[in-house]
Amino acid sequence: MLQLDQTWTAATLPENDNVNPYAFSVALNGSWFISKGAMIAYYGRITFEAIAAFASREAWVAAQFSSPIYVQDWVVANGQGKLVLADRGFDVNSYDIDAGNLTIKATNLLAFDAGLELKQSIVPGFVTLIGTGKFLASSNGPVIFKEPPFRADPEALLGWADCPAPSHHHDAAWMAANLMSAAQGIFGRTSGEERQFDFTGAGVILLQSSEMTRSDPATLRLIESQAAVLPVQQKQTLAQRLTAEVQQSQQQQRR
Amino acid sequence: MGQLRADGRVLHVDLQGETIRARTGSMVAYEGKVDFKNAGMGGGGGFRAALKQRVAGEGLSLMEVSGAGHVMLAEDGQYVTRVELNNETLTVEADSLLALTQGLQTDVKFIGLSNLSNGQGVATTVVSGSGEVALLSDGPMIALSVAGDEVFVDPQAYVASQGNLQMNLISGVSWRTFVGEGNGEAFTQRFTGQGTVFLQPAERGA
Repeated sequence: MLQLDQTWTAATLPENDNVNPYAFSVALNGSWFISKGAMIAYYGRITFEAIAAFASREAWVAAQFSSPIYVQDWVVANGQGKLVLADRGFDVNSYDIDAGNLTIKATNLLAFDAGLELKQSIVPGFVTLIGTGKFLASSNGPVIFKEPPFRADPEALLGWADCPAPSHHHDAAWMAANLMSAAQGIFGRTSGEERQFDFTGAGVILLQSSEMTRSDPATLRLIESQAAVLPVQQKQTLAQRLTAEVQQSQQQQRR
Repeated sequence: MGQLRADGRVLHVDLQGETIRARTGSMVAYEGKVDFKNAGMGGGGGFRAALKQRVAGEGLSLMEVSGAGHVMLAEDGQYVTRVELNNETLTVEADSLLALTQGLQTDVKFIGLSNLSNGQGVATTVVSGSGEVALLSDGPMIALSVAGDEVFVDPQAYVASQGNLQMNLISGVSWRTFVGEGNGEAFTQRFTGQGTVFLQPAERGA
């Protein structure tokens, strides 16, 4: 029964455990990396600082948080106290990594302790945690665990551990229908289910039980940084295509 | 044992001739002989409350539920929490108030510009007296006690506060770092005194 059966105090709030399925209490004694907006309450003496500001004093931070495109979305919580974290009423779970690595969708990662190192995954929108420590992740509905070989819907995929990074799998019928247009360079005809992530090897895959995701502000920064490698002419082509697409969707909205 | 009983996302109300006030349109089922009527100006708080609500944009719309029977109330699948007031005050956003029993008064309190940051009104609803209140929250409610110490709360997760509490808004250096892209917390609410702060495990507008 999910009832209000307890009024928490700084002393009775759980130590690194769930307050309820949708909120988690971290017993802070040192530093944690916290996703902006995840904090809903805290007791104690805790400071929150931008990663860049914190790193200028504590050099180790730059080594632990190795992802320039996500730096703006994270802060360092430092001090002693109880920190309550939540995300849109989604399920919040904690996971322990013991001298291992796990890759997770950046928008579902809420917090991790300073024993873990964050790196940007090769797969866009995902980050990899390496080392030994605890992290918190949110999911819309309970987390489902699967083992490869397995194909996952990109929206439902939360992350994976131990197995190699996935490859794209395109539905055969979709491929046949789109080979011509692909050859002409026209992509973007999607029914939503023709693309999956294909996992092989040994490991664990984490899925959420819905396809609800949060828009990732880092995606734009990622694409922008990647577009920087294009020569000027290709940049122009890209700009024209994007402009055409925006105009088209605006016209559709008007109708 | 009171008249209100919270059961997950539903509030059960037992009536034996009493009148309670409940959020307009929140009735999902009832049995017995029960009347529902508009509580009138200012959610039954009188003309002054109505005027203040108009000015403050704190929209409290309540109906009077009276008679004898059993009523079930719910709103958008939100979780329901029952709070007992014993000659105390409870401060709550109008959107999070589901029902209150006889013996409780509602009024609107201006809290200045402090809450502008989270898109909530510049005013809040104050419930005072002795009785029972049912609150709504997005996800199960979390109650944090304040007893001489202090607790800091994200305004977007804040729902209500009970007791003798002082609230001030912190926008200190450490908080400015939260401003940026996405939904960072620009301000945090600091509560001191004696009482209980209620919050939900979800951020409004996130």
